[in-house]
Amino acid sequence: MTVTTKDNITPIKVKSHSQAVTENVIKAFFRYLLLIAIGLIMLLPFIMAFLGTVKTDQEILSYPPKFLPEVWRWDNWARVWNTDLGAGGTFPRWLFNTAFLSVTVAVAQAAFGSMAAFAFSRLKFAGRDAVFNFMLATMMIPGAVTLIPAYVLMTKLQLINSFWSLILPGLVSAGSIFTLTSFFRSIPVDLEEAAIIDGATYMQIFRTVILPLAKPAILTVLILQFQSMWNSFMQPLLYLNTPDKYVLNVALSIFQQQYKSQWNLTLVGAMFNAIPVLILFFIFSRYYIEGVAYAGIKG
Amino acid sequence: MENKKTNSNQQGTVPAIIAFVGVVFIIVVIALLNAPTMGGARVMASVKTYFSEVRATAMPFMAVITILAIIGGFFIAREVKKVWPDERKRKEFLTGYAFLAPYLIVTLTFTVGVILFALYISFNKYDIFTRPEWIGLDNYKEAFAGFTDSTKRDFLQALYNVLWYAAIVVPVQTILALRMATLLNAPVKFKQFFRTVFYAPSVTSSVVITLIFIWLYLKNGYLNFFLQSVLGWVGIDFTPIAWLGDPRGLIQLIVEAFGGEIPSSQWYFRGPSIAWMAIMFQNIFTTVPTFMIMYLAALQDINPALYEAASIEGANKRDVFKKVTRPLLKPITMMIVVLGTIGTLQVFDQVYLATSGGPLKTSLTPVYLIFTEALGVNGPITMGYASALAFILAAIIFALTFLQRRILTKGTEMY
Repeated sequence: MTVTTKDNITPIKVKSHSQAVTENVIKAFFRYLLLIAIGLIMLLPFIMAFLGTVKTDQEILSYPPKFLPEVWRWDNWARVWNTDLGAGGTFPRWLFNTAFLSVTVAVAQAAFGSMAAFAFSRLKFAGRDAVFNFMLATMMIPGAVTLIPAYVLMTKLQLINSFWSLILPGLVSAGSIFTLTSFFRSIPVDLEEAAIIDGATYMQIFRTVILPLAKPAILTVLILQFQSMWNSFMQPLLYLNTPDKYVLNVALSIFQQQYKSQWNLTLVGAMFNAIPVLILFFIFSRYYIEGVAYAGIKG
Repeated sequence: MENKKTNSNQQGTVPAIIAFVGVVFIIVVIALLNAPTMGGARVMASVKTYFSEVRATAMPFMAVITILAIIGGFFIAREVKKVWPDERKRKEFLTGYAFLAPYLIVTLTFTVGVILFALYISFNKYDIFTRPEWIGLDNYKEAFAGFTDSTKRDFLQALYNVLWYAAIVVPVQTILALRMATLLNAPVKFKQFFRTVFYAPSVTSSVVITLIFIWLYLKNGYLNFFLQSVLGWVGIDFTPIAWLGDPRGLIQLIVEAFGGEIPSSQWYFRGPSIAWMAIMFQNIFTTVPTFMIMYLAALQDINPALYEAASIEGANKRDVFKKVTRPLLKPITMMIVVLGTIGTLQVFDQVYLATSGGPLKTSLTPVYLIFTEALGVNGPITMGYASALAFILAAIIFALTFLQRRILTKGTEMY
């Protein structure tokens, strides 16, 4: 590779430079092509489903299927919104149930989770590390193991078909406490030491020093827990069994049986379910993604 | 402080006794709630009827827990006595447990308590409406009865299915997630936008995604139409497949292509069915974005100085990936593989909605089986048996994730 004469160097350098430029342009082109292709694959099922919602009953069953509907039948959305399964099973009701449960659980987890995280990260007391390790161990337990006994416990407490059956076990979770603890540990302690010297109680330190600084982590927990309750299926399916108590996911699984071949209507239901979480996600995507990334790095 | 310490010997006794009584009381109440008795409204009519049931069937259970509660209470009481004289330690101790109380009570009731109950019940014949009846290891033997009696092979088939599922889904989703993350980690414009779009399927409920995919998989659906058109251009005649209703296995298809045949008595040679692979594809679609985000965060965490050092030493891109990126990604890879395994071995939603375990039980999974057995969907309610299945599944998950950790951490010590 050693070049001896000056005359040789210049043409080689120029050539390799222009080559590199074209190479980079081609590379960048393919990179964007790939990005757009993946993006399309990720969105395509949603786009197809959305277009399916505005097709007529015949059109949705026809083969070969058409991409765009002939007439945009928006009244499908109204038909689904006005669904009545009887016994109080209406669409607005399910939407309310789902939102109510998701908000309650998310708020409880943020509140109790940050309390526990404060104890784990800021206080020194006998048994703290033992409890923390115990919590890490419970994170390894597969959900399948608690499914049946939790159901039996709920029948004993007579909470079947009550929202309490989903709220009580959802008040805390090892995952959100763990996330919050890692975050609290990254907050410097200097501020609190000043407060302690001033005679502040732990409750005051928790409320006036830690909580304001931990806002991003708390928001992350709120959002992730809201989403996880909104999307949960097995527990609501097991515990809630009258139409007025259904959440959207359970109602949707009933839709599929009820509407059978009317896929346009089932898809409207699916859209009603997906849109609120997607909107929330687009607004708070930074917190979502940080929460997931955080769980990955710290775990 | 010093003054208080001198007369401390008696000072902590009363609070210690209160702590002891409190701890034992809370644990016994939690144990009572989870005592293995019959369930349902009849037994819960009054506290009296419930206690008489507990006396009749749950005394050994209660005795064991009470002894554990007394031991635990003793240790806590001793701690209380130790910290009481020192004001700062006392405050920290009390505040600490007060702040942990909601977590501890909920977890002891709804995680630890119910698991102890399930463990006890797994040695019993139990259908919630009658008293549990001790049958020893019969439930566990029943789970593996399929080895000798092919009519009882449900659980074995379910395990077989999910093992295929994990074996295919985990590597594919891990590799795809890494590829997508490296693609996004390169200097591209609109990075945020692409990241958000890529992540959208992971935000949506699995019920929604499953419903959309059932529709796309229909015999007169888009997937068949797409394949028919694309293969049509190349001149191949494609007959539409009922994707979620086709029980033919992967290995079976290959063998049949060569003119062979696998009889149904040797179902375990057939491999994952077409229906099962269709569900795998859909699952990969939803989980890849989450793991992609985890990889992306790990990639962005890598110190750029390392890359500079490597390029100064004249390493090419491939070398840099092999020698710098890959070793640094090992912990996150391990985490993604372990999480993926735990998730795939417990598939439920997709099976419940799309196939109900069919066709020919080729998409039956342990959790779906546990769900149907516990609710008596296909026969009597068998909660004891279902609990035994859950513990076997948990043991398999522990064993597999432990093995993965061992294999994947090998050789990372040097970094």
